[in-house]
Amino acid sequence: MLFPSIQFVLFFALVLALNQALRPWPFAQKLMLLLASYYFYAQWNWHYLFLVWFSTLVDYAIGLRLPRSPNPKRLIILSVIVNLGFLAIFKYANWVIASVNGSAAALGSGLHITPLDVILPVGISFYTFQSLSYTIDVYRGAMPPRRNFLDYALAVAFFPQLEAGPIVRAREFFAELDGPKLVRMADVQRALVLIAFGFAKKMVFADSLAPIADAVFDHPAGAGFWNTLIAIYAFAFQIYCDFSGYTDIAIGCALLLGIRFPQNFNYPYIAQSIQEFWRRWHMTLSRWLRDYLYISLGGNRLGEARTLINLMITMLLGGLWHGASWNFVIWGGLHGAYLVFERVGLSRWRFWQSPNRAAAVLRWFVTFHLVCFAWIFFRAKTLGTAGQIIGNLVHATALRDFSMSHQFGLLLLIVVMMATHVLNSHRDTKERLGTDRGPRFALAMTCVLLLLILFTPNHSAPFIYFQF
Amino acid sequence: MRYLRFFIPPIVVVVIDLMLQLGAWERIASPESHAGMSVAKKTALEDPAFRHIDFVTLGSSRPVYGIDHALLAKSAAEHNQTWVNLTVAGAHWMSLDVMTQWLAQHHPELRGGMIALSIQDFMAPGNGTYELGIAYPFRTFNEIPEMAQHVPFDWHDPATYGLYSGLFEYHEDMQDLLAHPQRRSKLLRYFHALSPQQVLAGNADETSGMCATPVSTLADCVNLERQGHVADPRIVAQCKQLHGWAGVRPDLQPFLHGLAADERLQRARDLIRARLRSLNWPIPPLVVLMPTPSVWLNEALPAGAHEWALSVLEPLLAEKKISLLDYTKMFSGDAECGAFFDLYHNNVSGRQKIMEHLMPEVGRNLFRSTSESGVLLPVAGSSTFR
Repeated sequence: MLFPSIQFVLFFALVLALNQALRPWPFAQKLMLLLASYYFYAQWNWHYLFLVWFSTLVDYAIGLRLPRSPNPKRLIILSVIVNLGFLAIFKYANWVIASVNGSAAALGSGLHITPLDVILPVGISFYTFQSLSYTIDVYRGAMPPRRNFLDYALAVAFFPQLEAGPIVRAREFFAELDGPKLVRMADVQRALVLIAFGFAKKMVFADSLAPIADAVFDHPAGAGFWNTLIAIYAFAFQIYCDFSGYTDIAIGCALLLGIRFPQNFNYPYIAQSIQEFWRRWHMTLSRWLRDYLYISLGGNRLGEARTLINLMITMLLGGLWHGASWNFVIWGGLHGAYLVFERVGLSRWRFWQSPNRAAAVLRWFVTFHLVCFAWIFFRAKTLGTAGQIIGNLVHATALRDFSMSHQFGLLLLIVVMMATHVLNSHRDTKERLGTDRGPRFALAMTCVLLLLILFTPNHSAPFIYFQF
Repeated sequence: MRYLRFFIPPIVVVVIDLMLQLGAWERIASPESHAGMSVAKKTALEDPAFRHIDFVTLGSSRPVYGIDHALLAKSAAEHNQTWVNLTVAGAHWMSLDVMTQWLAQHHPELRGGMIALSIQDFMAPGNGTYELGIAYPFRTFNEIPEMAQHVPFDWHDPATYGLYSGLFEYHEDMQDLLAHPQRRSKLLRYFHALSPQQVLAGNADETSGMCATPVSTLADCVNLERQGHVADPRIVAQCKQLHGWAGVRPDLQPFLHGLAADERLQRARDLIRARLRSLNWPIPPLVVLMPTPSVWLNEALPAGAHEWALSVLEPLLAEKKISLLDYTKMFSGDAECGAFFDLYHNNVSGRQKIMEHLMPEVGRNLFRSTSESGVLLPVAGSSTFR
């Protein structure tokens, strides 16, 4: 069941009504939310509910035993093995097998391992990380184990976040569950703004930009410099609108159910450094990687060289988290290399650190294009395609194929989107509209509704992050 | 304002939607779109010269090209009658129904006319959601349930939302206006400059033929596709449609001999009969089955498609509700490639041949019925090319 579908609207309306009706009975309310979440997931493939249940049961049991265990380390290793084991089997096994088979063939060996007959369960990367954060937090003593199974199961499976995040830590979720769960009129308004903007981002902008990016990334041969450049920009904004749109809808829906989710995006393309980019892009994943991977590796406590290695490992694994492909490894590796270079190179260059406007614009320009360059590997289906895309950019006859009719219009669109992105960051439109008591809210919602009806392409693509 | 601000947006959207349904967008709709072509006809009918009309031609793109509308108008004028051409590319039974109801309301003086389609138009109740655009400028809210019989509403298909919503119906047109405002402005200037006579009594002349690359079998299509860039891309695209039909070529013969037809065919048959029976023109309409290229008849359309179309019309003929001219097989052999400019439409040469046969029938069935001392003589019968 996809957010932009009539089924979801009807499903959510029913859940919302039941959630309000069951307010006097918290147990029944939570049980309804849990059953609704499982129903939501089962709409995709009910068989894979068993994975969610298994992961839930194992981590719940481990969480309960951890404080009393004489050897908690062994238990936490078990939790890591179970959770990452699922990921390994369902997400990475066939990639490893294909890599081994490919290497064997290249070396002339007759070795051939039969690939596993599995499909990637939607949201597995998200809910395993959420579940893992719980056991690690209990192990570290950051929170007590949750005795109420219903609460824990709901924390893992809560439907607005189940399929593509945001990655909400169990302790944050429990704090919300234990809170008053009051949905005030201001929350409703804020949620409606988030949901409306989320749908507009996804259905109007991401889905309209998708064909521009697809045309070049699916058939890069002979695309020319300008078409390729525009396709890369288009993909940069497509993935932003797609994923942040999904997150906005998820946060808005959760808010209507009385649960506050953390922010996941904060205008990432205005970042003036890669480090700042990661503080603004998929913030809940960045936070997870920092707290549970980077810090576990030693963080910056073990000297400069080890810090750089830790950064690189974190970003490489972060890349691999997105998908089982060398392209994602390279994407993560590029971001790791950018961060390392920023730390050892740019931080010592005085002009780069200068507060003047020219330096700020240069920092933004370089950061944005480094991010866009890395997106090539993220979007391209194969390394060969990524190579062709980069080849189009450095082609000798680059500037000749610029035609005013289409490409100027598309460039304009991207400039306008970038400009609104920058403007929004200074005066957060969503926040202001969410609290507006005057006509601006009504006007904005009318415009968004019209935008959705008039400019939604007939064919909507699935959310990009569902594949992760 | 506390709660009002939540209700204002949907109310405003509904009001805008209603305005569009009532025609607010018609003047700036793309003249090349289905709605735009339909709007042009409706607007031209507002001209004082067409305050009174006697005869009308309705139908799809086949009569747009295959009927000499100027000749019909001229002949009608010689009988002191007015004949207008309301054929629109893509028109099918839904738009015909909506247009005839509009004509009944706005031109009750209408005496009769011609409905020109092909046997392909008897295979399904609707011709796709784009037909909504043709019907839109002529429809009233009361007709929505009837329209839905031809193009059913589907939650999963936003294109069908146009049945109930002007915003959805015109959203592609608005996108096109924003993407190409200058082009739209030029097009509107050009089409607004056309006289109502040109719109309602003019011809679409296409002189090219297919003899350089004749397509009389599916194998010819395959050869054409192999030629790559040399071949006319329009014909290559039409060849793909042919392959699509040929890939699922059912046999309709059993349905002609007592076996119950499938639900879709039954619905098409019942709707077509209902639409034609509901016409209360003083002179029964002249239904013309336009020529169809032999490759369609022999290899792509369902076996027995021609007979099926005739079987749909048979009871109406018996009831004298229609007159029928069956030109489906008018062109065959070597003459075929010179009479069509693509795999659907006749060129000027083909049109002349059609008109040679059609004009006497029009004179006999329509003009004679009205010119003799004002007495209406419903002359119903059929003429077929075998």
